[in-house]
Amino acid sequence: MHWLSKRSTKIIMVLPALILFVGFVIIPIFISVYYSVTDFTGIGEAQFIGLKNYQVLFHDRFFFVALKNTLIILIGITITVLPISFLVALLLEKPFKGSGIIQSMVFAPNVVAPILVGLIWLFILDPKMGLINAILKGIGLGSLQQQWIGGRTLTPYAVAFVYLWQVLGFYTTINMAGLRSIPADIYEASQIDGANRIQQVWRITIPMMKNTIVINTILIITGGFKIFETVQQLTNGGPNHVSDVLVTYMYYTTFTTSRYGYGMAIATVSFVFCLIFSIIYLTRVNKSMHQEEG
Amino acid sequence: MMSKTRRWPKALSRIVLIMITALTAFPFLWLFVLSFKTDTEILNSPFSLPESIDFSNYERALDTLPLVKMFGNTLFVAVFALLISLVCTFMLSYAITRLEFKSKRLQNGLYLLFVAGLTIPPYIVIFPTYRMIVSMGLLGNRVSLILPLAATTMALGVLLMVGFLRDFPKEIEEAAIIDGCNIYQMCTKVVLPVIKPVLATVIIFNVLYFWNEYPISSVLVNDPQMMTISLGASMFRGRYSMDYSGMIAATVIIIIPQLLFYLLFQKNIVEGMTAGAVKG
Repeated sequence: MHWLSKRSTKIIMVLPALILFVGFVIIPIFISVYYSVTDFTGIGEAQFIGLKNYQVLFHDRFFFVALKNTLIILIGITITVLPISFLVALLLEKPFKGSGIIQSMVFAPNVVAPILVGLIWLFILDPKMGLINAILKGIGLGSLQQQWIGGRTLTPYAVAFVYLWQVLGFYTTINMAGLRSIPADIYEASQIDGANRIQQVWRITIPMMKNTIVINTILIITGGFKIFETVQQLTNGGPNHVSDVLVTYMYYTTFTTSRYGYGMAIATVSFVFCLIFSIIYLTRVNKSMHQEEG
Repeated sequence: MMSKTRRWPKALSRIVLIMITALTAFPFLWLFVLSFKTDTEILNSPFSLPESIDFSNYERALDTLPLVKMFGNTLFVAVFALLISLVCTFMLSYAITRLEFKSKRLQNGLYLLFVAGLTIPPYIVIFPTYRMIVSMGLLGNRVSLILPLAATTMALGVLLMVGFLRDFPKEIEEAAIIDGCNIYQMCTKVVLPVIKPVLATVIIFNVLYFWNEYPISSVLVNDPQMMTISLGASMFRGRYSMDYSGMIAATVIIIIPQLLFYLLFQKNIVEGMTAGAVKG
Protein backbone atom coordinates (compact mmCIF):
# COMPACT_ATOMS: atom_id res chain seq x y z
CA MET A 1 0.00 0.00 0.00
CA HIS A 2 2.90 2.23 -0.79
CA TRP A 3 0.90 4.72 -2.88
CA LEU A 4 -1.33 5.76 -0.01
CA SER A 5 1.42 6.04 2.56
CA LYS A 6 2.06 9.75 2.38
CA ARG A 7 3.31 11.27 5.59
CA SER A 8 0.28 13.53 5.97
CA THR A 9 -2.11 10.61 5.42
CA LYS A 10 -0.43 8.56 8.11
CA ILE A 11 -0.64 11.43 10.56
CA ILE A 12 -4.33 12.02 9.86
CA MET A 13 -5.10 8.32 10.25
CA VAL A 14 -3.17 7.77 13.47
CA LEU A 15 -3.46 11.04 15.34
CA PRO A 16 -7.14 11.10 16.45
CA ALA A 17 -6.93 7.66 18.06
CA LEU A 18 -3.56 8.43 19.58
CA ILE A 19 -4.69 11.74 21.11
CA LEU A 20 -7.80 10.17 22.61
CA PHE A 21 -5.95 7.16 23.98
CA VAL A 22 -2.94 9.04 25.32
CA GLY A 23 -5.16 11.82 26.71
CA PHE A 24 -7.67 9.63 28.51
CA VAL A 25 -5.73 6.45 29.30
CA ILE A 26 -1.96 6.98 29.30
CA ILE A 27 -1.66 10.47 30.81
CA PRO A 28 -4.18 9.68 33.59
CA ILE A 29 -2.00 6.75 34.66
CA PHE A 30 0.90 9.15 35.20
CA ILE A 31 -1.37 11.60 37.01
CA SER A 32 -2.42 8.73 39.33
CA VAL A 33 1.21 8.01 40.11
CA TYR A 34 1.80 11.72 40.74
CA TYR A 35 -1.10 12.02 43.20
CA SER A 36 0.05 8.87 44.98
CA VAL A 37 3.08 10.73 46.31
CA THR A 38 1.02 13.66 47.58
CA ASP A 39 -1.40 14.20 50.44
CA PHE A 40 -4.11 15.66 48.21
CA THR A 41 -7.56 15.72 49.84
CA GLY A 42 -9.35 17.95 47.38
CA ILE A 43 -8.75 21.14 49.32
CA GLY A 44 -5.79 23.39 48.60
CA GLU A 45 -2.66 22.36 46.79
CA ALA A 46 -1.29 18.82 46.69
CA GLN A 47 1.79 18.59 48.92
CA PHE A 48 4.61 16.24 47.97
CA ILE A 49 5.05 13.69 50.75
CA GLY A 50 7.29 11.15 49.07
CA LEU A 51 6.50 7.50 49.63
CA LYS A 52 4.55 8.07 52.83
CA ASN A 53 1.27 6.83 51.34
CA TYR A 54 2.98 3.60 50.38
CA GLN A 55 4.43 3.20 53.87
CA VAL A 56 0.99 3.66 55.38
CA LEU A 57 -0.42 1.25 52.81
CA PHE A 58 1.91 -1.54 53.88
CA HIS A 59 0.64 -1.23 57.44
CA ASP A 60 -3.01 -0.92 56.47
CA ARG A 61 -4.97 -3.96 57.62
CA PHE A 62 -7.89 -3.17 55.30
CA PHE A 63 -5.57 -3.00 52.32
CA PHE A 64 -4.29 -6.50 53.00
CA VAL A 65 -7.82 -7.80 53.51
CA ALA A 66 -8.75 -6.29 50.13
CA LEU A 67 -5.62 -7.74 48.56
CA LYS A 68 -6.39 -11.18 50.02
CA ASN A 69 -9.99 -11.05 48.76
CA THR A 70 -8.80 -9.97 45.32
CA LEU A 71 -6.36 -12.89 45.21
CA ILE A 72 -9.07 -15.35 46.33
CA ILE A 73 -11.28 -14.09 43.51
CA LEU A 74 -8.47 -14.19 40.93
CA ILE A 75 -7.46 -17.74 41.84
CA GLY A 76 -11.09 -18.82 42.18
CA ILE A 77 -12.11 -17.58 38.75
CA THR A 78 -8.99 -18.86 37.02
CA ILE A 79 -9.37 -22.42 38.29
CA THR A 80 -13.08 -22.51 37.49
CA VAL A 81 -13.62 -20.41 34.35
CA LEU A 82 -10.67 -21.89 32.47
CA PRO A 83 -11.53 -25.62 32.71
CA ILE A 84 -15.32 -25.24 32.68
CA SER A 85 -15.36 -22.99 29.61
CA PHE A 86 -12.98 -25.43 27.93
CA LEU A 87 -15.22 -28.36 28.80
CA VAL A 88 -18.37 -26.61 27.55
CA ALA A 89 -16.58 -25.68 24.31
CA LEU A 90 -15.51 -29.30 23.83
CA LEU A 91 -19.05 -30.53 24.41
CA LEU A 92 -20.48 -27.96 22.01
CA GLU A 93 -17.79 -28.35 19.38
CA LYS A 94 -19.71 -30.71 17.17
CA PRO A 95 -23.03 -28.97 16.43
CA PHE A 96 -26.19 -30.85 17.34
CA LYS A 97 -29.84 -29.94 17.57
CA GLY A 98 -30.09 -27.28 20.25
CA SER A 99 -26.37 -26.60 20.58
CA GLY A 100 -26.84 -23.10 19.21
CA ILE A 101 -29.50 -22.36 21.84
CA ILE A 102 -27.29 -23.68 24.62
CA GLN A 103 -24.40 -21.56 23.43
CA SER A 104 -26.44 -18.38 23.29
CA MET A 105 -28.02 -19.02 26.68
CA VAL A 106 -24.67 -19.57 28.33
CA PHE A 107 -23.44 -16.31 26.79
CA ALA A 108 -26.49 -14.26 27.85
CA PRO A 109 -25.32 -13.14 31.34
CA ASN A 110 -22.39 -11.46 29.64
CA VAL A 111 -24.64 -8.77 28.15
CA VAL A 112 -26.37 -7.79 31.40
CA ALA A 113 -25.12 -4.65 33.12
CA PRO A 114 -22.70 -5.66 35.91
CA ILE A 115 -24.58 -3.40 38.29
CA LEU A 116 -27.72 -5.50 37.73
CA VAL A 117 -25.81 -8.77 37.99
CA GLY A 118 -25.08 -7.82 41.60
CA LEU A 119 -28.76 -7.11 42.24
CA ILE A 120 -29.92 -10.39 40.70
CA TRP A 121 -27.58 -12.43 42.86
CA LEU A 122 -28.43 -10.47 45.97
CA PHE A 123 -31.78 -12.26 46.02
CA ILE A 124 -30.12 -15.64 45.69
CA LEU A 125 -27.16 -15.24 48.04
CA ASP A 126 -28.51 -13.00 50.79
CA PRO A 127 -28.46 -14.94 54.07
CA LYS A 128 -31.91 -13.71 55.18
CA MET A 129 -34.06 -13.35 52.08
CA GLY A 130 -31.90 -15.24 49.60
CA LEU A 131 -32.99 -18.35 47.76
CA ILE A 132 -30.15 -20.70 48.68
CA ASN A 133 -30.67 -20.54 52.42
CA ALA A 134 -34.43 -20.79 51.92
CA ILE A 135 -34.00 -23.97 49.91
CA LEU A 136 -31.61 -25.46 52.46
CA LYS A 137 -34.10 -24.73 55.21
CA GLY A 138 -36.99 -26.02 53.13
CA ILE A 139 -35.41 -29.41 52.54
CA GLY A 140 -34.41 -29.79 56.16
CA LEU A 141 -30.74 -28.94 55.78
CA GLY A 142 -31.03 -25.73 57.74
CA SER A 143 -27.77 -26.48 59.50
CA LEU A 144 -25.96 -25.97 56.18
CA GLN A 145 -27.20 -22.40 55.87
CA GLN A 146 -24.31 -19.99 55.44
CA GLN A 147 -23.69 -16.29 55.35
CA TRP A 148 -22.88 -16.51 51.64
CA ILE A 149 -22.41 -12.77 51.49
CA GLY A 150 -21.78 -10.21 54.18
CA GLY A 151 -20.26 -12.70 56.61
CA ARG A 152 -16.63 -13.00 57.66
CA THR A 153 -15.27 -15.33 55.00
CA LEU A 154 -17.49 -16.38 52.12
CA THR A 155 -18.11 -13.15 50.17
CA PRO A 156 -15.06 -13.33 47.84
CA TYR A 157 -15.93 -16.93 46.95
CA ALA A 158 -19.50 -15.90 46.20
CA VAL A 159 -18.22 -13.02 44.05
CA ALA A 160 -15.98 -15.44 42.14
CA PHE A 161 -18.97 -17.72 41.53
CA VAL A 162 -21.08 -14.84 40.24
CA TYR A 163 -18.22 -13.87 37.92
CA LEU A 164 -18.03 -17.44 36.63
CA TRP A 165 -21.74 -17.19 35.81
CA GLN A 166 -21.18 -13.86 34.07
CA VAL A 167 -18.24 -14.72 31.80
CA LEU A 168 -18.53 -18.47 31.16
CA GLY A 169 -20.14 -17.98 27.74
CA PHE A 170 -17.57 -15.42 26.66
CA TYR A 171 -14.63 -17.76 27.25
CA THR A 172 -16.55 -20.72 25.88
CA THR A 173 -16.92 -18.81 22.62
CA ILE A 174 -13.20 -17.97 22.48
CA ASN A 175 -12.34 -21.61 23.16
CA MET A 176 -14.67 -22.76 20.40
CA ALA A 177 -12.86 -20.47 17.99
CA GLY A 178 -9.60 -22.06 19.11
CA LEU A 179 -10.98 -25.59 18.72
CA ARG A 180 -12.13 -24.87 15.18
CA SER A 181 -8.65 -23.81 14.15
CA ILE A 182 -7.29 -27.31 14.85
CA PRO A 183 -7.19 -29.25 11.56
CA ALA A 184 -9.41 -32.36 11.58
CA ASP A 185 -6.82 -34.62 9.91
CA ILE A 186 -4.65 -34.52 13.03
CA TYR A 187 -7.47 -36.19 14.96
CA GLU A 188 -8.02 -38.66 12.16
CA ALA A 189 -4.37 -39.62 12.06
CA SER A 190 -4.28 -40.09 15.82
CA GLN A 191 -7.38 -42.24 15.65
CA ILE A 192 -5.72 -44.55 13.16
CA ASP A 193 -2.86 -44.80 15.64
CA GLY A 194 -5.42 -45.98 18.20
CA ALA A 195 -5.77 -42.87 20.39
CA ASN A 196 -9.00 -42.59 22.38
CA ARG A 197 -10.92 -39.36 22.96
CA ILE A 198 -9.30 -38.53 26.28
CA GLN A 199 -5.83 -39.06 24.86
CA GLN A 200 -6.75 -36.86 21.93
CA VAL A 201 -7.87 -34.03 24.19
CA TRP A 202 -4.80 -34.39 26.37
CA ARG A 203 -2.18 -34.90 23.70
CA ILE A 204 -3.57 -32.91 20.76
CA THR A 205 -6.27 -30.42 21.74
CA ILE A 206 -4.68 -28.93 24.83
CA PRO A 207 -1.16 -28.53 23.37
CA MET A 208 -2.58 -26.99 20.19
CA MET A 209 -4.75 -24.62 22.20
CA LYS A 210 -1.82 -23.40 24.27
CA ASN A 211 -1.97 -19.87 22.91
CA THR A 212 -5.71 -19.58 23.45
CA ILE A 213 -5.37 -20.92 26.98
CA VAL A 214 -2.59 -18.48 27.88
CA ILE A 215 -4.49 -15.52 26.48
CA ASN A 216 -7.68 -16.62 28.24
CA THR A 217 -5.81 -16.89 31.52
CA ILE A 218 -4.49 -13.35 31.19
CA LEU A 219 -7.89 -11.97 30.16
CA ILE A 220 -9.54 -13.75 33.10
CA ILE A 221 -7.00 -12.41 35.58
CA THR A 222 -7.09 -8.85 34.30
CA GLY A 223 -10.89 -9.14 34.06
CA GLY A 224 -10.93 -10.21 37.71
CA PHE A 225 -9.22 -6.94 38.62
CA LYS A 226 -12.16 -5.12 37.07
CA ILE A 227 -14.80 -6.74 39.29
CA PHE A 228 -16.41 -3.82 41.05
CA GLU A 229 -20.16 -3.52 40.70
CA THR A 230 -20.87 -7.02 41.99
CA VAL A 231 -19.05 -6.37 45.24
CA GLN A 232 -20.60 -2.96 45.55
CA GLN A 233 -24.11 -4.30 45.11
CA LEU A 234 -23.71 -7.45 47.21
CA THR A 235 -22.00 -6.05 50.30
CA ASN A 236 -20.45 -2.69 49.39
CA GLY A 237 -17.24 -4.05 50.89
CA GLY A 238 -18.80 -4.43 54.33
CA PRO A 239 -19.12 -5.19 57.09
CA ASN A 240 -16.14 -3.09 58.13
CA HIS A 241 -14.21 -3.70 54.88
CA VAL A 242 -13.94 -7.50 55.31
CA SER A 243 -15.32 -8.08 51.81
CA ASP A 244 -13.59 -5.20 50.01
CA VAL A 245 -11.47 -5.90 46.94
CA LEU A 246 -8.69 -3.61 45.73
CA VAL A 247 -10.88 -1.55 43.42
CA THR A 248 -13.75 -1.11 45.87
CA TYR A 249 -11.30 -0.16 48.64
CA MET A 250 -9.64 2.30 46.27
CA TYR A 251 -13.02 3.71 45.27
CA TYR A 252 -13.93 4.05 48.94
CA THR A 253 -10.73 5.83 50.01
CA THR A 254 -10.78 8.07 46.94
CA PHE A 255 -14.39 9.02 46.51
CA THR A 256 -16.05 8.31 49.84
CA THR A 257 -13.39 9.59 52.24
CA SER A 258 -11.61 11.97 49.80
CA ARG A 259 -8.13 10.67 50.65
CA TYR A 260 -7.16 11.08 47.01
CA GLY A 261 -3.41 10.69 47.47
CA TYR A 262 -3.84 7.47 49.41
CA GLY A 263 -6.44 6.15 46.98
CA MET A 264 -4.07 6.76 44.10
CA ALA A 265 -1.35 4.83 45.93
CA ILE A 266 -3.73 1.83 45.94
CA ALA A 267 -4.47 2.50 42.26
CA THR A 268 -0.76 2.57 41.44
CA VAL A 269 -0.13 -0.72 43.22
CA SER A 270 -3.05 -2.30 41.33
CA PHE A 271 -1.69 -0.89 38.11
CA VAL A 272 1.72 -2.47 38.69
CA PHE A 273 0.01 -5.85 39.16
CA CYS A 274 -1.86 -5.40 35.88
CA LEU A 275 1.26 -4.16 34.13
CA ILE A 276 2.98 -7.46 34.85
CA PHE A 277 0.11 -9.33 33.21
CA SER A 278 0.00 -6.83 30.31
CA ILE A 279 3.62 -7.53 29.54
CA ILE A 280 3.10 -11.29 29.51
CA TYR A 281 0.03 -10.76 27.34
CA LEU A 282 1.84 -8.50 24.89
CA THR A 283 4.78 -10.87 24.52
CA ARG A 284 2.26 -13.56 23.60
CA VAL A 285 0.39 -11.37 21.12
CA ASN A 286 3.65 -10.23 19.60
CA LYS A 287 4.90 -13.79 19.29
CA SER A 288 1.75 -15.13 17.64
CA MET A 289 1.86 -12.19 15.22
CA HIS A 290 5.39 -13.00 14.10
CA GLN A 291 4.49 -16.66 13.77
CA GLU A 292 1.76 -15.70 11.32
CA GLU A 293 4.05 -13.47 9.31
CA GLY A 294 6.95 -15.87 9.18
CA MET B 1 -16.14 -38.08 9.00
CA MET B 2 -15.73 -35.97 12.13
CA SER B 3 -18.36 -37.96 13.95
CA LYS B 4 -16.41 -41.15 13.50
CA THR B 5 -13.22 -39.82 14.99
CA ARG B 6 -14.76 -37.97 17.90
CA ARG B 7 -16.84 -40.21 20.05
CA TRP B 8 -17.88 -38.97 23.42
CA PRO B 9 -20.38 -40.59 25.75
CA LYS B 10 -23.26 -38.63 24.32
CA ALA B 11 -25.81 -38.87 27.08
CA LEU B 12 -23.39 -37.76 29.77
CA SER B 13 -22.25 -34.78 27.74
CA ARG B 14 -25.84 -33.69 27.09
CA ILE B 15 -26.68 -33.96 30.78
CA VAL B 16 -23.69 -31.82 31.74
CA LEU B 17 -24.62 -29.22 29.13
CA ILE B 18 -28.24 -29.09 30.18
CA MET B 19 -27.27 -28.68 33.81
CA ILE B 20 -24.89 -25.83 33.03
CA THR B 21 -27.47 -24.13 30.83
CA ALA B 22 -30.14 -24.50 33.50
CA LEU B 23 -27.82 -23.00 36.11
CA THR B 24 -27.08 -20.09 33.78
CA ALA B 25 -30.69 -19.40 32.96
CA PHE B 26 -32.01 -19.89 36.47
CA PRO B 27 -31.14 -16.47 37.99
CA PHE B 28 -33.06 -14.74 35.18
CA LEU B 29 -36.10 -16.94 35.71
CA TRP B 30 -35.95 -16.47 39.45
CA LEU B 31 -35.78 -12.68 39.05
CA PHE B 32 -38.84 -12.86 36.84
CA VAL B 33 -40.74 -14.94 39.41
CA LEU B 34 -39.72 -12.56 42.20
CA SER B 35 -40.98 -9.58 40.26
CA PHE B 36 -44.55 -10.73 40.88
CA LYS B 37 -44.15 -11.31 44.60
CA THR B 38 -44.95 -8.79 47.29
CA ASP B 39 -42.33 -7.55 49.72
CA THR B 40 -43.75 -9.61 52.57
CA GLU B 41 -43.63 -12.71 50.42
CA ILE B 42 -40.01 -12.02 49.45
CA LEU B 43 -38.90 -11.43 53.03
CA ASN B 44 -40.96 -14.10 54.79
CA SER B 45 -41.04 -16.95 52.33
CA PRO B 46 -38.20 -16.51 49.85
CA PHE B 47 -38.63 -20.00 48.44
CA SER B 48 -42.20 -19.84 47.21
CA LEU B 49 -44.08 -18.86 44.10
CA PRO B 50 -46.09 -15.63 44.10
CA GLU B 51 -49.58 -15.90 45.58
CA SER B 52 -51.10 -14.15 42.60
CA ILE B 53 -49.85 -12.63 39.37
CA ASP B 54 -50.27 -8.90 39.58
CA PHE B 55 -48.37 -6.14 37.93
CA SER B 56 -48.38 -3.64 40.77
CA ASN B 57 -44.60 -3.94 41.20
CA TYR B 58 -44.15 -2.96 37.59
CA GLU B 59 -46.58 -0.08 37.90
CA ARG B 60 -44.68 1.22 40.92
CA ALA B 61 -41.33 0.82 39.17
CA LEU B 62 -42.56 2.69 36.12
CA ASP B 63 -43.88 5.48 38.33
CA THR B 64 -40.66 6.00 40.26
CA LEU B 65 -38.14 5.45 37.48
CA PRO B 66 -37.43 8.30 35.05
CA LEU B 67 -37.19 5.62 32.34
CA VAL B 68 -37.45 7.87 29.30
CA LYS B 69 -34.79 10.21 30.61
CA MET B 70 -32.47 7.35 31.56
CA PHE B 71 -32.78 5.64 28.18
CA GLY B 72 -32.44 8.96 26.35
CA ASN B 73 -29.28 9.97 28.21
CA THR B 74 -27.72 6.57 27.75
CA LEU B 75 -28.57 6.52 24.06
CA PHE B 76 -27.08 9.97 23.56
CA VAL B 77 -23.81 9.05 25.24
CA ALA B 78 -23.67 5.67 23.48
CA VAL B 79 -24.25 7.09 19.99
CA PHE B 80 -21.60 9.78 20.19
CA ALA B 81 -19.04 7.69 22.02
CA LEU B 82 -19.61 4.96 19.45
CA LEU B 83 -19.11 7.31 16.48
CA ILE B 84 -15.91 8.78 17.89
CA SER B 85 -14.53 5.42 18.93
CA LEU B 86 -15.35 3.74 15.60
CA VAL B 87 -13.84 6.44 13.39
CA CYS B 88 -10.63 6.62 15.44
CA THR B 89 -10.30 2.86 15.76
CA PHE B 90 -10.94 2.22 12.10
CA MET B 91 -8.44 4.80 10.84
CA LEU B 92 -5.78 3.57 13.23
CA SER B 93 -6.35 -0.10 12.41
CA TYR B 94 -6.16 0.68 8.71
CA ALA B 95 -2.90 2.56 9.17
CA ILE B 96 -1.45 -0.30 11.24
CA THR B 97 -2.32 -2.99 8.73
CA ARG B 98 -2.08 -1.27 5.33
CA LEU B 99 0.06 1.85 5.32
CA GLU B 100 3.82 1.64 5.11
CA PHE B 101 5.77 3.09 7.98
CA LYS B 102 9.47 3.70 7.72
CA SER B 103 9.87 2.03 11.06
CA LYS B 104 8.17 -1.35 11.38
CA ARG B 105 8.81 -1.16 15.10
CA LEU B 106 6.81 2.04 15.40
CA GLN B 107 3.90 0.44 13.58
CA ASN B 108 4.02 -2.68 15.72
CA GLY B 109 4.54 -0.60 18.86
CA LEU B 110 1.39 1.41 18.14
CA TYR B 111 -0.58 -1.82 17.94
CA LEU B 112 0.84 -3.18 21.18
CA LEU B 113 0.27 0.14 22.98
CA PHE B 114 -3.44 0.06 22.20
CA VAL B 115 -3.90 -3.64 22.84
CA ALA B 116 -2.20 -3.24 26.23
CA GLY B 117 -5.16 -1.03 27.10
CA LEU B 118 -7.26 -4.21 27.39
CA THR B 119 -5.49 -5.18 30.58
CA ILE B 120 -5.67 -1.80 32.32
CA PRO B 121 -8.54 -1.54 34.79
CA PRO B 122 -10.40 1.70 34.10
CA TYR B 123 -10.66 2.37 37.86
CA ILE B 124 -7.05 3.49 37.92
CA VAL B 125 -7.78 6.39 35.58
CA ILE B 126 -11.14 7.54 36.96
CA PHE B 127 -9.85 10.04 39.48
CA PRO B 128 -7.21 11.62 37.18
CA THR B 129 -9.82 11.84 34.42
CA TYR B 130 -12.16 13.53 36.87
CA ARG B 131 -9.44 16.06 37.77
CA MET B 132 -8.73 16.72 34.10
CA ILE B 133 -12.40 17.22 33.33
CA VAL B 134 -12.76 19.61 36.28
CA SER B 135 -9.70 21.65 35.28
CA MET B 136 -10.98 21.91 31.72
CA GLY B 137 -14.27 23.20 33.12
CA LEU B 138 -16.19 20.39 31.45
CA LEU B 139 -17.76 18.78 34.51
CA GLY B 140 -21.49 18.42 34.03
CA ASN B 141 -21.05 18.56 30.27
CA ARG B 142 -21.96 15.42 28.35
CA VAL B 143 -18.69 15.57 26.42
CA SER B 144 -16.91 14.85 29.69
CA LEU B 145 -18.42 11.38 29.73
CA ILE B 146 -18.30 10.65 26.00
CA LEU B 147 -14.56 11.13 25.46
CA PRO B 148 -13.26 8.90 28.29
CA LEU B 149 -15.74 6.16 27.41
CA ALA B 150 -14.74 6.29 23.75
CA ALA B 151 -11.07 6.12 24.76
CA THR B 152 -11.52 3.06 26.97
CA THR B 153 -13.19 1.02 24.21
CA MET B 154 -10.48 1.52 21.63
CA ALA B 155 -8.29 -1.34 22.85
CA LEU B 156 -10.84 -4.02 22.03
CA GLY B 157 -11.75 -2.31 18.75
CA VAL B 158 -8.15 -2.20 17.58
CA LEU B 159 -7.58 -5.82 18.58
CA LEU B 160 -10.61 -7.02 16.61
CA MET B 161 -10.19 -4.81 13.54
CA VAL B 162 -6.45 -5.29 13.14
CA GLY B 163 -6.97 -9.04 13.51
CA PHE B 164 -9.60 -8.98 10.78
CA LEU B 165 -7.72 -6.71 8.36
CA ARG B 166 -4.53 -8.77 8.69
CA ASP B 167 -6.33 -11.89 7.54
CA PHE B 168 -8.07 -10.05 4.74
CA PRO B 169 -6.43 -10.02 1.26
CA LYS B 170 -5.22 -6.65 -0.04
CA GLU B 171 -5.88 -7.38 -3.72
CA ILE B 172 -9.18 -5.49 -3.97
CA GLU B 173 -7.59 -2.42 -2.46
CA GLU B 174 -4.60 -2.64 -4.77
CA ALA B 175 -6.92 -2.84 -7.75
CA ALA B 176 -8.78 0.22 -6.46
CA ILE B 177 -5.52 2.17 -6.27
CA ILE B 178 -4.73 1.33 -9.88
CA ASP B 179 -8.17 2.69 -10.75
CA GLY B 180 -7.09 5.97 -9.18
CA CYS B 181 -8.85 5.79 -5.84
CA ASN B 182 -7.70 8.14 -3.06
CA ILE B 183 -7.43 7.34 0.63
CA TYR B 184 -10.84 8.76 1.48
CA GLN B 185 -12.62 6.82 -1.26
CA MET B 186 -10.60 3.78 -0.34
CA CYS B 187 -11.81 3.81 3.26
CA THR B 188 -15.45 4.63 2.64
CA LYS B 189 -16.16 2.85 -0.64
CA VAL B 190 -13.78 -0.11 -0.69
CA VAL B 191 -12.77 -1.09 2.84
CA LEU B 192 -15.87 -0.29 4.90
CA PRO B 193 -18.11 -2.68 2.96
CA VAL B 194 -15.70 -5.59 3.33
CA ILE B 195 -15.08 -5.18 7.05
CA LYS B 196 -18.79 -5.23 7.87
CA PRO B 197 -18.68 -8.47 9.91
CA VAL B 198 -16.02 -7.26 12.30
CA LEU B 199 -17.50 -3.78 12.35
CA ALA B 200 -20.78 -5.30 13.54
CA THR B 201 -18.99 -7.10 16.36
CA VAL B 202 -17.09 -4.02 17.46
CA ILE B 203 -20.29 -1.96 17.40
CA ILE B 204 -22.16 -4.52 19.48
CA PHE B 205 -19.44 -4.86 22.11
CA ASN B 206 -19.08 -1.09 22.31
CA VAL B 207 -22.80 -0.47 22.58
CA LEU B 208 -23.05 -3.06 25.36
CA TYR B 209 -20.15 -1.43 27.16
CA PHE B 210 -21.54 2.12 26.85
CA TRP B 211 -24.97 0.89 27.86
CA ASN B 212 -23.69 -0.91 30.95
CA GLU B 213 -20.83 1.34 32.02
CA TYR B 214 -21.06 2.32 35.67
CA PRO B 215 -17.80 3.22 37.47
CA ILE B 216 -16.70 6.10 35.20
CA SER B 217 -20.21 7.53 34.90
CA SER B 218 -20.72 7.34 38.64
CA VAL B 219 -17.86 9.78 39.12
CA LEU B 220 -18.24 12.04 36.07
CA VAL B 221 -22.00 12.49 36.13
CA ASN B 222 -23.25 14.55 39.05
CA ASP B 223 -26.38 15.96 37.48
CA PRO B 224 -29.53 13.84 37.98
CA GLN B 225 -30.77 15.24 34.66
CA MET B 226 -27.95 13.35 32.93
CA MET B 227 -28.46 10.05 34.77
CA THR B 228 -27.79 6.95 32.67
CA ILE B 229 -29.41 3.53 33.03
CA SER B 230 -26.62 2.03 35.14
CA LEU B 231 -26.58 5.07 37.41
CA GLY B 232 -30.32 4.79 37.87
CA ALA B 233 -29.97 1.09 38.64
CA SER B 234 -27.21 1.78 41.17
CA MET B 235 -29.64 3.94 43.11
CA PHE B 236 -32.29 1.23 43.36
CA ARG B 237 -31.09 0.18 46.78
CA GLY B 238 -31.48 3.71 48.06
CA ARG B 239 -34.48 4.76 46.01
CA TYR B 240 -36.58 1.74 46.87
CA SER B 241 -34.97 1.46 50.31
CA MET B 242 -37.12 -1.42 51.51
CA ASP B 243 -39.21 -1.85 48.39
CA TYR B 244 -37.45 -4.95 47.10
CA SER B 245 -40.26 -5.96 44.80
CA GLY B 246 -40.20 -2.56 43.08
CA MET B 247 -36.44 -2.87 42.70
CA ILE B 248 -36.78 -6.30 41.09
CA ALA B 249 -39.47 -5.12 38.68
CA ALA B 250 -37.25 -2.18 37.71
CA THR B 251 -34.36 -4.57 37.10
CA VAL B 252 -36.53 -6.73 34.84
CA ILE B 253 -37.65 -3.65 32.91
CA ILE B 254 -34.02 -2.76 32.22
CA ILE B 255 -32.81 -6.28 31.48
CA ILE B 256 -35.48 -7.19 28.92
CA PRO B 257 -34.36 -4.71 26.22
CA GLN B 258 -30.76 -5.84 26.78
CA LEU B 259 -31.63 -9.48 26.28
CA LEU B 260 -33.69 -8.62 23.18
CA PHE B 261 -30.76 -6.66 21.76
CA TYR B 262 -28.55 -9.66 22.42
CA LEU B 263 -30.97 -12.13 20.82
CA LEU B 264 -31.11 -9.94 17.74
CA PHE B 265 -27.36 -9.65 17.32
CA GLN B 266 -25.95 -12.77 18.94
CA LYS B 267 -24.88 -14.20 15.60
CA ASN B 268 -22.62 -11.20 15.01
CA ILE B 269 -21.12 -11.46 18.48
CA VAL B 270 -20.13 -15.07 18.01
CA GLU B 271 -18.94 -14.56 14.43
CA GLY B 272 -16.76 -11.61 15.28
CA MET B 273 -15.21 -13.36 18.25
CA THR B 274 -14.52 -16.41 16.11
CA ALA B 275 -13.13 -14.29 13.27
CA GLY B 276 -9.69 -14.97 14.61
CA ALA B 277 -8.63 -11.94 16.55
CA VAL B 278 -9.60 -12.65 20.12
CA LYS B 279 -8.20 -16.13 20.25
CA GLY B 280 -4.77 -14.61 19.67
